Formats: sequence, structure tokens, C-alpha cells
Amino acid sequence: GVLPHLERLEARAHALALRQEAAEQRQERLARLQGRAQELRLRRDELRAKLELQQKRLLGNEGVATSGDPDAAQPSDRAILEWKMRNVQDLLQLFYLTGLSGKRTKHGVCFCISTAYEGTYLDSFYLDLVTKPQVQIRRHSVPVFIPLEELARKHLQTDIKRFLSVLSDHLNAYVGRRYQADQLQERFSGHLEGTLQRNSLCNALVFKYNTSGQNEAFPFSARLLYGDPCRSLPTEAVVSCTSGAPAPLAEATAAHAAAFRRLPLHRALEALSSPRRRPD
Amino acid sequence: MDETVAEYIRRTVLKIPRDEIKTMLQTWGFLSEAQLQTLNFHQTKDYVSQEVVQLCEDNSADIKQAAVLDIIYNHVYPNKRMWSVYQMNKSGEETEFFDLTDFKKKFKRRLQTALKNVTINFREYEDNAIWIRIAWGTPYKKPNQYKTSYVVYHSQTPYVFISASVIRSTLPLLCQALVVASNYHDIREMELRSHCLNSLKDIVFKRYSQTFQTYYPRPLQERNVTSENVDLRIIQENKNEKERILRVNREVFGDGPQPKLEFAQYKLETTFKSNPTLDVSDIKEPFRCLVKFSSPHLLESLKSLAPAGLADAPLSPLLTCIPQKARNYFKIRERKGFFPGSFVSP
Repeated sequence: GVLPHLERLEARAHALALRQEAAEQRQERLARLQGRAQELRLRRDELRAKLELQQKRLLGNEGVATSGDPDAAQPSDRAILEWKMRNVQDLLQLFYLTGLSGKRTKHGVCFCISTAYEGTYLDSFYLDLVTKPQVQIRRHSVPVFIPLEELARKHLQTDIKRFLSVLSDHLNAYVGRRYQADQLQERFSGHLEGTLQRNSLCNALVFKYNTSGQNEAFPFSARLLYGDPCRSLPTEAVVSCTSGAPAPLAEATAAHAAAFRRLPLHRALEALSSPRRRPD
Repeated sequence: MDETVAEYIRRTVLKIPRDEIKTMLQTWGFLSEAQLQTLNFHQTKDYVSQEVVQLCEDNSADIKQAAVLDIIYNHVYPNKRMWSVYQMNKSGEETEFFDLTDFKKKFKRRLQTALKNVTINFREYEDNAIWIRIAWGTPYKKPNQYKTSYVVYHSQTPYVFISASVIRSTLPLLCQALVVASNYHDIREMELRSHCLNSLKDIVFKRYSQTFQTYYPRPLQERNVTSENVDLRIIQENKNEKERILRVNREVFGDGPQPKLEFAQYKLETTFKSNPTLDVSDIKEPFRCLVKFSSPHLLESLKSLAPAGLADAPLSPLLTCIPQKARNYFKIRERKGFFPGSFVSP
């Protein structure tokens, strides 16, 4: 009959579909496993290569003496080398921290002047000098407002130590003044009206401030001039008070000016703003 | 409010990208916060600019305030102008306290006695830069606000950055006013030009990264360059050469980003050197030729030439000396080396 025939065909189709599905799954699994095998092979190669590299390095360290007990000889050689390296690095770091370090180059010397203020290390400046036929500056990273050419003209040929010392003074003083101005701006912004008015060398500062720290009125007006380029404290400090201010404020201006002349900027303002009052 | 002022403000606002209009108006500070709240910045720029003009009308803006907005725009987008660098020279040794008010007064006075019809505006920024905007007129005409020169000066430095104006004849006047106001003797134009103002500053103030040989140990992370993900089945045949190229390149260019210049121009006035068999060799006159290198970022592209294999390392010093010599226009004559432009005072 037709119906059983159809049933048989249907059953066959079903079985075929099942077989196909099983075949596809097997294929997928095969592909996955092949991929995994590839990954593992790569990893094996990597590890092999690492191992070789490591062995080569160990052999290199040991050098020629590969006598009976390689394990005992090797760590101590290595340890000594590391100790020596650390020592040299510390020594170089020490030189760097003294503020003046140098290195010979193929045409002369390269000096590094590192600056600091109140225990904080700040910028480093470099000078690349040639020594033949004369001592001359080949390249440098000194800012353009430091009178480098002038100092070189005066001292470079005659007394190089003096040149470096004076230049270091200029640079340290500039960096110190800049640091004070930055600290004032950052830590005492509530005391200042707007931003500090300064110039490139930071040797003329003008600002309005108060001692209370709240952003209300700024009765005091200060003008600081740093006449000596090698000093980081002002040579001249003028503090004035707005005309409508109460008498005790007006009388304090002289004391304020003295504080600015004596102390670093941010410490001066700190001292002036502190609630301590001197008994009259 | 003057119609010209209104139109000027409208055109300035139109130049600003739409997302930046609000911030720039706030920096300007001429319109109050309440007024700014009434503006709808999502409209087309045409509408926004007209509303801004209306508000300025309410506040009676004059040309001085409009000029300030122009300075602010140019400060944020300085790269739309071409800048030249000038160097001033003086012989005195006095330590000076740069007095800003004195500078401004002298500059204005010098310029205004020579030419009455100028608009001069100053604006100081926190990095000690003084921006000066000058709009030029003639003895018979009011200043043309669309023909402006810009000057950027950092106090106590001998360098001035000038954005060339269309009117070249006013340049000597401007230079003279600068020299007088800053207490220098003379001024000359350096052979250094670019659109990127900050890069020009980096070059002359030596703020770009130079390599100096020191013993100060470099951080250890830099030394472990052997990367772990390189396939170790591949062997580099000329590894040594590659490392040499990288090392030489680093010595010349340093580690940090290079200043951004757009071109370098070499004017050759050398005699043609050719194969002796050719007849051309008996021409004794210099073979005049101009070589110009242009790039969106010339120094970075020079830096990448050798590692990319396109040039030998070390590169010619004619190319690598650009930031060191602070120039991108060169004249190369016969004999050894090249002669920089001479010092001339106006």
C-alpha cells in the first residue's frame, strides 16, 4: 500500500537527518580539537624557546668556570654582580642628588644641574659642552630668560667651576621662586584674589590677599621684587592696605612686609593667617 | 551699539564651533550667566549669533569688548594663523623687573603717536604670555577690524611671535613699538614659521625633548624590550642593524613628541656637480634650486624615516638641525655648511 510506503520513506528521511546531524557534530568537534591542538603546539614551542633562552642566560652568567658544582657557584657570582651594579647605581644617584653631575662625551662633557628647594627636588637642566678648540656650549636646556650667554661670556673660558656654580645659583633661585609662587597659588587660593601676577623669571610678584582665608574681601595688596637673581627671597616688599580698611589692618602692613622679606612666600602667608596673636 | 561692532561680533561668533560657543562666551564674561541661560545653543549658528548680537546690544558692547572676544577665539585656535618668530637683541646687563603696565603704556603710546587709527587690546595669560591684538587703520580711515595682527610675547624673553597681517607695511611700525616697550635695541625676523604656535614656543624656549648623555639611570622598564609575544620561530636577520638605527634615531630626535612644523625650505645656490663626461659640468654658475619638504607634522615624519627603512640613519644634519637651529628656511651656498641670515636692525 501507499501509506506504509510513505511511512517507510519518512522513517528513512528521519534516520538520514539524524545521521547528518551526527556527522556535522563530529566535524565541529574535530575542528575544535584541531584548533586546540594548534594552540597547544604553539604554547609548547613558546615554552621550549623560553627554556632555551633561560638556559643560555644561565650559561652566560657562569662564564668559563663550569666546574663540579654549578648550583653553588652560580648564585654567588650573580649576587656579587648585582651588588656591584646596585652600588654603582646608588653612587650615580648620589652624584645626581648633589645638584651637579657630569658625563664625558666624545666631544667634551655633558653636565646636569639638578635643582631643589626646601628638600623637594625640582627640575634638571642640561649643558652639553665641547672642550676643543675652546670650551663652548653646544646644546643646553636652560630656559631662555636665564642669562646663560652673559654668564658664559664672563666665566666659561676662565673658570668653569665658577661658571657652573653661578649658573646653578641662578637656576636654583629661579626654580625656588617659581615653586613658592606655585605653592602660594595652590595652597592659599582662598586667600588670593584671582591669580598671582608674575613674570617669566618670577622675580616680580603682585597680588591681593587677605588673612582670613574666606573669599570675601582682599584688603591687602603686595608687591614683591626679587632684585638678586641668585636669591629666592625678595629684596623689596611693599604691602599696602585699601583705604577703607579698619585701623589694625592698616597697621599690620609693615609686619606683613617684614614677613615676606624673611620667609618663603607660602610660609609667610601661613604665619600671617594663623590665629596666634602676639600680646601687645 | 555701532552696526560695525554688531556685525563683527556676529562674524566672530560664527567662526566658533557650535559646541564651544557657550564656553567661549563664559570666558569672555561680557554677558551675564542669566543672559547666557536664555540662549539656545542647539539652534543653527546663524540664529545663535544673531541672539548673541541682540544680547550684546542690550549690554551696549563697544569695539573694545568685541576685540576681547576675538583675542579669546584666537587664543583657543591659534593654529588657524601663520606665525613668525622674531628675536630681539640688547646689550645691557641690568636685571629688569618686567613691569606689565609700563610695557603696555609704552607700546600703546609708541604705536598711537605714529598712527592714530589703531585699536590695541592686551590680554595676559597664566603662562606669562601677553597677547596683543592690533587692528590697523590709516590716517584717514578707522581701523579695519578684519585686518588684525597678533603678537604674543613672554616677558623677559627675547622672542616675539607675530601673526603676519595682510598689511605688510605696518610691520616695521609694530616691531619698533615692541622694541621700545620691552627695552631692547633691535629686532630681526628669524627664519622660523609655522601654524602651530605652541611648537614654535617649544623650539625657541627649548621645551622639546632633547637627549643629553648623562649617567642618571633610565627607568628599568625601558630596558626589557624583548617582548613576549614575538613568535620565536621567526629570526630577525638584521636585528643589529635595526637596533642601531633605533638607537641613532633616539639620540638625534629624543624620546618625546617633536614640535609640529609644516615645512622646511632649502634654497640651494650650489654649482651643479655632475658626471665629468657630461658637458654640463663646465657651467660655473650656481644651479639655483628650491627644495621644500611639507608634511602635516614634518619632524615626526623625519623621525620615522629611518626606522621605516626609507632613509639611512643617521639622517642628514641639514634635516635634523631644525629644532636646534630654530629655523626652517635655509640658504645653502658653496663651500662647507650654510650661512644663516644676518642680523639686521630696522
